[in-house]
Amino acid sequence: MSAQGPFSSSQPDSAGFLKAWMDQAGAFQDMFARLADQSAAAMPASMFPPLLAPWKDFVERMGMGGFDPAQMLPGAPALGLSREYQETAARLLDLGQQFQKRYAEFAQQNAAIMQDAFQVMKKRLNAAPPPPKSPAELYDAWIDCAEGAYHQAAHSDSFARLLAELCNISSAFKVERGKLTEQIARHLDLPSRAEVDTLHRQVHALTTALRAAAAARPAPGPASRPVSRAANKAPRKPRKRAKK
Amino acid sequence: MNTAATDPLAELLQSAAAMQESGRSVLRTLVGMGDVEVGTSARHCVYSEDKIRLYRYSPLARSANLKPVLICYAMVNRPYLLDLQPDRSFIRELLLSGLDVYLLDWGYPDGADRFLGLAAYIDGYLRRCVEFVLDEQALDSLTLLGVCQGGTMSLCYAALHPTQIAQLITMVTPVDFKTPENLLSKWAQHIDIALLTQSGNVSGDFLNLVYLSLMPFRLTQQKYVNLLQLQGDRVQLENFMRMEKWIFDSPDQPAAAFREFIQWFFQENRLVRDELTLAGRPVHLKNLTAPVLNIFASKDHLVPPSASIPLGAYIGSKDYESLEVDAGHIGLYVGGKTRKSVPAAVVAWLQARRKS
Repeated sequence: MSAQGPFSSSQPDSAGFLKAWMDQAGAFQDMFARLADQSAAAMPASMFPPLLAPWKDFVERMGMGGFDPAQMLPGAPALGLSREYQETAARLLDLGQQFQKRYAEFAQQNAAIMQDAFQVMKKRLNAAPPPPKSPAELYDAWIDCAEGAYHQAAHSDSFARLLAELCNISSAFKVERGKLTEQIARHLDLPSRAEVDTLHRQVHALTTALRAAAAARPAPGPASRPVSRAANKAPRKPRKRAKK
Repeated sequence: MNTAATDPLAELLQSAAAMQESGRSVLRTLVGMGDVEVGTSARHCVYSEDKIRLYRYSPLARSANLKPVLICYAMVNRPYLLDLQPDRSFIRELLLSGLDVYLLDWGYPDGADRFLGLAAYIDGYLRRCVEFVLDEQALDSLTLLGVCQGGTMSLCYAALHPTQIAQLITMVTPVDFKTPENLLSKWAQHIDIALLTQSGNVSGDFLNLVYLSLMPFRLTQQKYVNLLQLQGDRVQLENFMRMEKWIFDSPDQPAAAFREFIQWFFQENRLVRDELTLAGRPVHLKNLTAPVLNIFASKDHLVPPSASIPLGAYIGSKDYESLEVDAGHIGLYVGGKTRKSVPAAVVAWLQARRKS
């Protein structure tokens, strides 16, 4: 068993442990002070780096050498007051990584398409002399080759699947981001998407019920027909005025 | 001896210099152009509800005494493509032939419309517009003209309410969504559409990205490079800018209706499998017995001909005619030859139906 694993190194010394604890507490205190300060200059670009370093130092002092919270985050169970945020953050991180991986594959696929296009262009230029006489002609020939190579690849099942995966990951990311936005909206006492959705559903249900009720009403007789109907008559062509 | 005329490199350089000058001229014209006008035929709103508007166009000629034509455009783009400018207007050509033209404009759906499904659009808004026209004109039936996705919606409507439709015209309309040439359909098969629409409406920008990806080199590069050939021709550049405005003026799609459209049509092909249900009622294309004119474009990269051609085999109508036009999806309406020949064919077909 490796001696470098979490909780398995030598005994922590009390002075070092205390200093790490104080550093970490100080970092949190500093963060709270910054949060209390309304000025924009008080806020760091990201809240996490100033907190992460003292915490990392603290867990190392506790004998958890080699432990990297950033690496552990995706698989670790979320704990404590902020567990819901942690879970959302972990999912966002995971989706971001998935997207990067798929996008790299997509870029590779596009590079292969360009290679194919160059090959076709080369063949075309060699096979059909004389060469294009103008840059425009040359450019059009290149576009034809590029579209041809792209068309062939784009119709393949692998291309469609990769494109769909990119789309599905983006959709999942948007859903998770929406959850965070919902929480922020609630904290700021702003109407959340869920609240607005509920209202829309209610308005829609009411409109439908109203329309059904109106349709169920007996049709008005000829005498009570609205006279304004004449206003909807066909628009007429402008007539020339008769000379007096 | 003139070496420049025979030296290929010198020719290329000369040509490149000319293109550079043309580019400057194009830029100068574009900078001074300002906004372009679209949708120029006179019309007024006769019915409105939520985001939708029903317009009636002012006549431009003596009435041809044909049934009024209600145009049902797609939800994914704006309908002013049909009336882009006076000399490129499908609607204007119909008006000049004496037709009474109505247009259903779906508007720009927003978050308030995210839960509206296809039934709300087809058996709700579209039905009420049809009923309004019939009531206004004291008629039992009209001519429904559906464009692209609006054609698919019109087919559904005509199958649900066959007695209200005297004639149906479909233009570049997908019917069979799973033909080998249909790239959009291939891409749609593996999309998790429930997840995509879970966080609300689908943005028009997203759809534009998909459309551009169908032919990325032509649509994002060559199109703009070709501008150089216009050499600062103001009229041509204005035409280009009108089209550019239309292409990227894409409404967001209401989440529920979009989800249903992708799942039911693209992924499950329910319309031709006779498995579609709307507002609790089955949509049987066999119920459609009115005369049908199906117009499709041979170079259509969005709705390939193979997606439109099969329509005749699925409907109950005995009077079915198809018209293949040598154009692309958009060129059908604004192309040099087709912008007059297509509306003329529509009018001739309608007139022939009146005689019979």
